[in-house]
Amino acid sequence: MIEVEGLNCFAGKKQILSDVSFSLRKGEFAALIGNNGSGKTTLLKCLTRNIAFQSGNIKIDQKDLLSYSHKELAKKIAFVPQHTDLMFDFSAHQLVLMGRTPYQKPLYFDSEKDLEIVEQAMKQTNTWHLRNSNAKTLSGGEFQRVIIARALAQQTPVLMLDEPISNLDIHYQFEVMSLLQQINAKGITVLIVLHELNMTMQYCNKVLLMQNGTMAAQGKTSDILSVENIELFFDVKAQITPLEKHIIISKK
Amino acid sequence: MKRTRNRIVFALLCIVAAGLLFVDCIVGVSTLSAAKALQALVSPFGISLPFAPSVSENEIYIVLFLRLPRVLFSAVAGAGLAVCGMAFQALFRNPLSDPYVLGVSSGASLGAAVAIVLGAESMIWGVGLSSFAFAVLTVLIIIRISSYGNRIHTSTLLLAGISINFLISAIISLLMVLNKEQMEKITFWTMGSLSYIDYKDLAMVACTVVIGTLAVLFHSRDLNALLIGNQTAQSLGVNVERTKRSILLICTLMVSTIVSCSGVIGFIGLVIPHMMRTIVGADNRKLLPFSIVGGSIFMTIGDILSKSIIPPSEIPPGSITALIGAPFFIYLLFNSKKRLNQ
Repeated sequence: MIEVEGLNCFAGKKQILSDVSFSLRKGEFAALIGNNGSGKTTLLKCLTRNIAFQSGNIKIDQKDLLSYSHKELAKKIAFVPQHTDLMFDFSAHQLVLMGRTPYQKPLYFDSEKDLEIVEQAMKQTNTWHLRNSNAKTLSGGEFQRVIIARALAQQTPVLMLDEPISNLDIHYQFEVMSLLQQINAKGITVLIVLHELNMTMQYCNKVLLMQNGTMAAQGKTSDILSVENIELFFDVKAQITPLEKHIIISKK
Repeated sequence: MKRTRNRIVFALLCIVAAGLLFVDCIVGVSTLSAAKALQALVSPFGISLPFAPSVSENEIYIVLFLRLPRVLFSAVAGAGLAVCGMAFQALFRNPLSDPYVLGVSSGASLGAAVAIVLGAESMIWGVGLSSFAFAVLTVLIIIRISSYGNRIHTSTLLLAGISINFLISAIISLLMVLNKEQMEKITFWTMGSLSYIDYKDLAMVACTVVIGTLAVLFHSRDLNALLIGNQTAQSLGVNVERTKRSILLICTLMVSTIVSCSGVIGFIGLVIPHMMRTIVGADNRKLLPFSIVGGSIFMTIGDILSKSIIPPSEIPPGSITALIGAPFFIYLLFNSKKRLNQ
């Protein structure tokens, strides 16, 4: 599905990503974790072609990322950014409808099919009742669900999210993660940047661990999120309760 | 329900615009009744209205060749400036952007002044090309100053726009002092005037505005995505850089063509999209037709007032639009300050 080989990315003279390689198979729910500044967001931006990388290879469905047109890529990967800053008033429905942009021709109205897909996406994310609300007035959790509905309306096989729960309270964090789990159960590959190790443990079946711009470890969640790895890479004391998949973390 | 309401409001705005265009044909130095003006307007089609008094050749000439091109120019230029304001606000994700604030209009007027001083006025497209070149240059400078980290920052954009506007005013004043014989012509461009508009100007501006507006309409879905942010737009399949460059070029061409004929007329691009958003919302596909009609109405009101406040003298229409637009600009700044404090 996604293959990354020897990826190097620089910001000016500073190397942000160094020889990053990994692969994701269809239907995986992968977490991209690591300390601040480890290169997680940059990697996601390279994968969504928001920034250019200097060397290496990214293949989506065995086709080179750079050979996709903008619209073709938007039909493969949907992206949920860390922040969506609204300067103007849009209804929740209008925001979700934007997810259909890659499929629509200029100068054409929204088709019945577009409207149906938007309705499905909003019902799946439990936001249909908010469709006429001004998106600026929604709570953090509601707004994030609307943004995920927009990504669903893109009908892509891959969904990438950059820290979608970092600004949410614990209740909404579970709500959003459960929603992503449901989406993943329908065969959509999910790659999510996360800081919350407990959420990673409970919801993700694969972990990509980054450190200083390199892929330090990758594999099954239970293998990567070991006490040794957490203590080594995050510089904390950790303890794992095996039955409940919970990590207890304290200061070293 | 909302769609029906919007259609009714749009139809009403179109009726108001048509009515104002007719009023603009009546208002002027020579007094003409509404019936006479109407008869003069239909006379080229060989129609004789039963209720209208007969009109002289002179009156037909006044209506058809002195007033009508100016009236139509007002409508087209107002529409063009409003469309550019709407597009700039989406492009820069900034509700305070408009061709005037961004310095496009001032840059174009400096271009016109330079062309006059260098004697390029008599060349075909001399003033127009020079206006366009200076407008592009001004926009590029302002964007360069106000962007860092891939983003254009509101406060820096405004400060850069204001500073460049000041700088351009100073250069134009200097040009006027050094070229006293050309002072009147240069003043024309800085103050804005519709007194010398003819069908040639109208044709040029109408072509540019129609093509430019169609191009903005073509990109209107992309502009919606850009309103949410570059990263989101890119992930929705929008070629962000190409769209930005196209819109910037198209709008600069529209504004500089208008300015090369009428001089600087400010604030329409700022006020109208905001007013229309309160009716129809932020979706640029719906906002565009409303901005076209709203811009026409605003500019026509400006023209009517400029001719009728102290007849037979004319107040520059740019002063009228500024008198309405500047307080609105302050209101927007006040609102954004409130939002920041929340």
